[in-house]
Amino acid sequence: MSKLFKVCLFASLAFFIGCSDSGKKVTRIDTNSVTDLSGAWNDTDSRLVAEEMINDCLGRPWYDNMIQNKGGVVPTVVIGKVSNKSHEHINIETFIKDMERSLINSGRVDFVANAQERAELRTELASQAGNATADTQKQGGQEIGADLMLTGTITSIIDQEGGDQVVYYQVDLELTDIQSHRKVWIGDKKIKKFISKNGVKL
Amino acid sequence: MSIKRLILLAFSLSLLVSCANKSMTRYEEIAQPLEKKGIDATIKKMKDEQDDLYGSNTEFLYYFDLGCLYHYKRDFKESAANFAKAEQIYEDLYTKSVTNEAAAIVTNDNTRPYRARPFELLLMYEYQILNYLAMMDVDGALVEVKRSQIAMNALYQKDQEKVNDNGLLRYLSAIVYELDGSTDDAAISYINAVKAYKEGKLQLPEEVLEFVAEGLRKADREGDLMTLGTQVPGITPKATSIREAGQEIIVIGYGGHSPILGELYMSGTFVSGGVMNLYYKDGETGERKSFTLVAPPVSGAGNGESFHIGFSLPEIRKLQNRVDHFEVSLDNAPRLRPEKVMAVDEELQQNMDDEKTTTITRTAIRVILRTIAAQKAKQAMKTDNILLNLITSLGTDVAQTQIEQADLRLGLFMPHSLYMTRIPVTTGQHKVVVTANGSNGETVEIFEFDKINVTKGQKVFLIVPSLR
Repeated sequence: MSKLFKVCLFASLAFFIGCSDSGKKVTRIDTNSVTDLSGAWNDTDSRLVAEEMINDCLGRPWYDNMIQNKGGVVPTVVIGKVSNKSHEHINIETFIKDMERSLINSGRVDFVANAQERAELRTELASQAGNATADTQKQGGQEIGADLMLTGTITSIIDQEGGDQVVYYQVDLELTDIQSHRKVWIGDKKIKKFISKNGVKL
Repeated sequence: MSIKRLILLAFSLSLLVSCANKSMTRYEEIAQPLEKKGIDATIKKMKDEQDDLYGSNTEFLYYFDLGCLYHYKRDFKESAANFAKAEQIYEDLYTKSVTNEAAAIVTNDNTRPYRARPFELLLMYEYQILNYLAMMDVDGALVEVKRSQIAMNALYQKDQEKVNDNGLLRYLSAIVYELDGSTDDAAISYINAVKAYKEGKLQLPEEVLEFVAEGLRKADREGDLMTLGTQVPGITPKATSIREAGQEIIVIGYGGHSPILGELYMSGTFVSGGVMNLYYKDGETGERKSFTLVAPPVSGAGNGESFHIGFSLPEIRKLQNRVDHFEVSLDNAPRLRPEKVMAVDEELQQNMDDEKTTTITRTAIRVILRTIAAQKAKQAMKTDNILLNLITSLGTDVAQTQIEQADLRLGLFMPHSLYMTRIPVTTGQHKVVVTANGSNGETVEIFEFDKINVTKGQKVFLIVPSLR
């Protein structure tokens, strides 16, 4: 074997060894940055939709009317069911949490725990009744009843041809007066994505 | 021997080593012992030996098989997670690698990543829908219904001529739409279920027809059924009773084991510009058979020059199934016999028929190219030593034979057939006994569900696997 051949062989081996790391690289990025990898519903969609829709909701005329009717007291809101009728398994919990955060941070509404959380709180309250000291025990029947319930659906439409796909998401939210069942606000937010996949690669 | 020849030999050996057909060993190692070892041990073995049993080119099947096993184990969450991974792999494989395709032409189709057969994909969505229904997650089941429709559209866009539909999948979709309160979508799925059964080989099951008729009557679309040439049943007592009561128990039986793929190896002599004489062993009788075809001239070879050729084609191998049907008894009442709602063996046969031309064409191209390459290699290695020439010639032919392997990859834990029945029940606690029976009525396996709590409007899905 010539010297040149040996040098080339070792250089190639060194190159392959150098390249054979785990293939994984982790980089921390801003949680508010927009990232689209697969084209599926992601944290950016969840956060932006929640923020925009809650801002829209609280900026509409129903709000001032309700404040006026309640003598300046801010309304209390509870989040009801948000149905996923899209083609993806969307983590609805994350979306609900994003909405809850936007509602609380706005400072314009009071916010109470949802049905599942209330059930847990009531269990805790019942447990306290038999176990906690009298001075630290919390009393039942002191909950704040919500004035309004926010419900919604996430739907999607897909159009595809070969490796190209257009995904259209629509998020519909409704705010309903719990007493009168009157819908005080209906809002929607649409997202359209074009996803393209190559048919071939090397 | 020169360095050039050593490299050539080493390259050939590496091909031989890398191309070991894992499909047969997979069946022998994990599918056959399933009955004795049980689901948990099989899952463990699969996880421990993923590389040896599946390899990176068969990743779809790894997750698909795991999804099936967890489904039979009634670990629906884990099953759904594994099927989701399989689906993601299927989607990622939309992009074809030129390198892989080229490698498949000189070696065999096992070097390409496994892209799933259409019926496996549709079966996966059925399992997924059932996973979410069993977990009482209607939204999740609805997502799977929609994903299955997108997948079916993509399959039809790829090939309009093939059957890429499934009656059971459409029927399950209708059930999910009804649970969601989407009656219009349910009606469309009912109509598509009837169409799909008519396109497929399995006859429309009577119970399915009853629910389809009742559903369409409710949606005021009974006429659509008549335009499909289907006799509409006059009365629909079971379907009406379930709609009125709201709650029911739905039994899904997985009976027998789906056929597997075996290898039909043909070998013989190819005389350039003359005849091709091929021998093969009949898979069913074991008899050695032969036939002769006209052989075209091979480029670069003289007229009358002969070559050794060998090629493999996949063929269906039916397994002896002990389970022929199921019987269901609710609260010790007389037994009901669930109908067959999907025949996996028929689906596989249909798929093999659909793929026949493509498979034969790919195999022929591969064998011709490899034969030409082998001849060139023999010429390049020719020496003055006759004995050495004979050894290299034989070695090249053996190497060719070893490289040639049919693509036998297929889901390992699919049942032979799926059975289903819907039973109207009152609210409260119920006992269900399901027996898997052989063709002579003998009991193969008994499944007892002692305390099934059914609440108002609830649909309880019982998964009964008997892959014996």
